[in-house]
Amino acid sequence: MNLDWLDAFLISGLFSVVIIIGLGLLLHLQLGLARIANFGVVGFFGIGMYAFGVMFVKVDWPFSEVWAFFISLAFGTLVAGLSGLLVGWLIADLDEDGVLVGTLGFATAVLILATTEQDLTGGALGLGGLKFPYDIGSVKANEFLWLIIVTTVVALILLYVGRVHRSPYGRLLIAVGANEPLARSLGKPAFRTKLWLFAVGSAGMGLLGALFGVMVRFLDISNLGIDVTLAAMVALVLGGTARVWGAVIGGFLTIGLFEIVVQSYIPFPQGWYGQAIPVVRQMVFGATLIVVLLFRPLGILGDMRRDKLMRSMHGG
Amino acid sequence: MVAEAKEQQPPAARPQIKVEKAVKSFSGRVVVDIDELVLGDQPIEGLIGPNGAGKTTLMRMIMHSTPLDQGTVTLYPSGINGEGIVLSALPTHRMARHGVVKSNQVIMDFDKLTILDSLLLAVAQHKYEQPQRIFDEKRVYDESAARIHEYLEFFAFGDPTQFAGSAGEKKLLDIVRCLLLEPRFLLLDEPTAGLPEELTEKVMQLIRDLAATGTAVVIVEHDLSVIWNLSNEVHFMAEGNVVMRGSPQEIRKNKTVIEKYLGEGHV
Repeated sequence: MNLDWLDAFLISGLFSVVIIIGLGLLLHLQLGLARIANFGVVGFFGIGMYAFGVMFVKVDWPFSEVWAFFISLAFGTLVAGLSGLLVGWLIADLDEDGVLVGTLGFATAVLILATTEQDLTGGALGLGGLKFPYDIGSVKANEFLWLIIVTTVVALILLYVGRVHRSPYGRLLIAVGANEPLARSLGKPAFRTKLWLFAVGSAGMGLLGALFGVMVRFLDISNLGIDVTLAAMVALVLGGTARVWGAVIGGFLTIGLFEIVVQSYIPFPQGWYGQAIPVVRQMVFGATLIVVLLFRPLGILGDMRRDKLMRSMHGG
Repeated sequence: MVAEAKEQQPPAARPQIKVEKAVKSFSGRVVVDIDELVLGDQPIEGLIGPNGAGKTTLMRMIMHSTPLDQGTVTLYPSGINGEGIVLSALPTHRMARHGVVKSNQVIMDFDKLTILDSLLLAVAQHKYEQPQRIFDEKRVYDESAARIHEYLEFFAFGDPTQFAGSAGEKKLLDIVRCLLLEPRFLLLDEPTAGLPEELTEKVMQLIRDLAATGTAVVIVEHDLSVIWNLSNEVHFMAEGNVVMRGSPQEIRKNKTVIEKYLGEGHV
């Protein structure tokens, strides 16, 4: 396959966009529908990534690598889901401040564990030895195929989120987010609903983390910074917290613009790339968040339109 | 087949609720202190009393949306001599499953959900509201559309795919949600407050119909014509306790009730 037209930067840029969109979509279920501000996105992402990586690299698998790959992937997803269940249980009854502190604290705990458990994770030195479950030739071709696979996974997440909006489950999430006591008085188990929402969302974030780990092939604690959470959150808020396509549009406008357009096509001095650009990115994202919340708090797409949706589904 | 079997069954005995040694205080002030109270002797019972008598708090205690300081609330699904379920040991969301449902005094609504959404939420069974059930909207709608539209037409709601606009509409929506849960024991906290006369009549008619099918109804209302009109029995509450119970005729003539609540000259 001739991939000369494809820039390696473009692949990694698009890959970041797709991953952030996936995280933003899962965050949308929590923040946009059930109104739980999960600031621990990177924690679940990281748990999935490391659980997968450690399982794949450190265990002496008796069968083929492809099998080991998929078992490790399932393991990473499962561990992230279980950690979501635990965190959900801790925060389900807390108010907004408590949720913020609890989820942020969880992400920090994951970072510290990955740093200190050197025997397992390699600590600050990192963990190598990850690889694609296939080999179709050049590194670029392998990466390109992985980009397509991960894009498919994120498209499925998008499809799921869209279906949730059109299902009784989505209605329950919105109801619990809008008025929990009223939902409870109608017989809805608000606590359990939040718990499962967290478990499923976290499992998804963990899966994305593992898929990300495969692409970078070297797990490094610098992947566990708050900037991942921030990127997903800024993308979602910019696009529209309450809308299905919010994270997609926001993802392209934030990470897309920054990672692809700014980094690849604007000729900055070479010395800026290592230090200055990541810092500038954080500043621009922070400023974007402030401006959006001031002038268009519901994002570019605006509020959800249940009236339109109901008319299209059940209207005469 | 199932419907036929249902019709052949004799109407089940009316459920009753017993409140025992129930105490609730807010920042040191005792709001409810009831030694023993049985609700549901009669199909429709009124609960009246001056502001601050503890009527709303009592109802919230029954629903366990306000936890009790002491005491128990027990539901007897087939009358006081049958088996009991201790409601005060259950979380609020389990009440609806036992048929215990309460309407809200203050207007409660889900912003962002349309009228139809709100009603579909009330009827949707728990099994359809799981993360993996993402293709069940049509099923939930088809199961309940007839019932929902019956109520929507009865109260002459506008387009159900719109949001509830006025306070009255939200109040009605609250009551319809309660009715859709098919209550066996219905607590109504000022159901007609703020409703125009014509709608008050309609609500009263629905309550009567419901009570005739074996549902126990307890109603708190400041519009006393509703109480005198509907109730088979009236509880008079003052200072956190039910101090008197009797037929509407007895209660409205009672000296204490007139002094403490109704005022001289009330007929």
